[in-house]
Amino acid sequence: MTHFGKSIRTRREHLHLEDKRYSLRQVALRIGIEPAYLSKIERGEVSPPSEATTVRLAHELGEDPDVLLALAGKVSGDLQNIIRKRPKLFAELIRQLKEAPDHALLHVVREVRDGEW
Amino acid sequence: MITLKNDSLEFRFPEVHRDARCTIEFQRTLRIPDDNRDYPLPPGLDSFPLRHIDDFARRLPEQWRRRGGVIMPMHQAEAMWISFEDYSGYPFAVKIATGKSCAISGNPWVNHLNKDPQDYVVLPEQPWLDGYCVEKGIIRQFVAMPLGKGYTAEEQLTGAAQHGGLQIVVFPMKRKRYKRLMARSSLTLHSPQVPCCISPESMGLAPGGRMRQEIHEDPYGLDAWDRQHSRRCFVTIANSTQWTAITGERPPTVPPSALEYTEAGLPWFEWYGGDAVAVDGAKKLEKLASVAQLGKKKGEAPLPENESVEVTRVVGLSAGGATLDREFTSDEILRP
Repeated sequence: MTHFGKSIRTRREHLHLEDKRYSLRQVALRIGIEPAYLSKIERGEVSPPSEATTVRLAHELGEDPDVLLALAGKVSGDLQNIIRKRPKLFAELIRQLKEAPDHALLHVVREVRDGEW
Repeated sequence: MITLKNDSLEFRFPEVHRDARCTIEFQRTLRIPDDNRDYPLPPGLDSFPLRHIDDFARRLPEQWRRRGGVIMPMHQAEAMWISFEDYSGYPFAVKIATGKSCAISGNPWVNHLNKDPQDYVVLPEQPWLDGYCVEKGIIRQFVAMPLGKGYTAEEQLTGAAQHGGLQIVVFPMKRKRYKRLMARSSLTLHSPQVPCCISPESMGLAPGGRMRQEIHEDPYGLDAWDRQHSRRCFVTIANSTQWTAITGERPPTVPPSALEYTEAGLPWFEWYGGDAVAVDGAKKLEKLASVAQLGKKKGEAPLPENESVEVTRVVGLSAGGATLDREFTSDEILRP
């Protein structure tokens, strides 16, 4: 079982304890894939699904899409586009920040400015 | 701190608690008929794009720049609902105003919370807000109208067309109170001044058709909220022409009409909030004339495609249920 498959199975089963709508079959149908395919994903018998399916699965399970994509060994398309537009700048930025602790990274995140109103 | 993530506003309060984060986004939707009948909840058709005001500072009127916040496009007479999402179940009190008049109480904007009458919604109990709280269990849908024509709630309540847009302030629950609850339950850009090419006319929100939606009474009490830590944001609404001139992007397409949507057999929604108690409608908001009512009085037809519809397919959503999903991605919607 892959880390990705194990993670989503654990999360789904946890939700299923409190809500029967988190059965493998119902979750698969809600995200638009066959139950047998989701079962194989959870057991690690197939590679993680496409980006779009992974994002739908993340929303369904209340997980962060970027975290789930990372577990699947992927980076979201929008992030790839951002890097491709200014590869040198973003590559440098990411490398410089790779060891920074979380609280320091939060200071780098751009805030929405509140003004006078 | 407030950040923009995938066209949603993410509010985080790491100084209060690591779990204290919630997301607010603005959902495109169809405009329900403004015919004095009560409708169920319409779907979400994907979120409106949001951009930092500061990214376009040189193209914006001074008043827009000064307010900060974000900018969002809406077509005239387009409807919108506000989606609240929290990741951890951390409770928040959220005030929403349009044109600096509270959408829950109808009172003028103040930065603090009031309990009597309650002028905020409580997350996660309240998953969304579709409009003005005009009666107990009934709201009038948020509909975009140009400021200065007399239709917006702001103009009807204050007699002035000054602010427009949406205003939000978010208060997290106090850290100690949250921990007790858990235990019991288990860059400003300084751009050179250049002549501005965008007209300063802004869009505001006006009361549209009636919809069944309860605004829940605060189950925790005013003392539960950490009023020392709050974050607020002004959402400026640009019309589609302004949006393209400012951002260079095309705004989202006009959503289908209520009639087109219903005839395509797509679902409407009802929400069952369990035992939650609904707040009364605000007297000030109850007196507001809807866009269609005011248009009739003025001899104008401000709402295209306002035919009544017979809703036959209604999907029930419950507060304790697995999902509160009333959103479609754009490729799921049948366009005529």
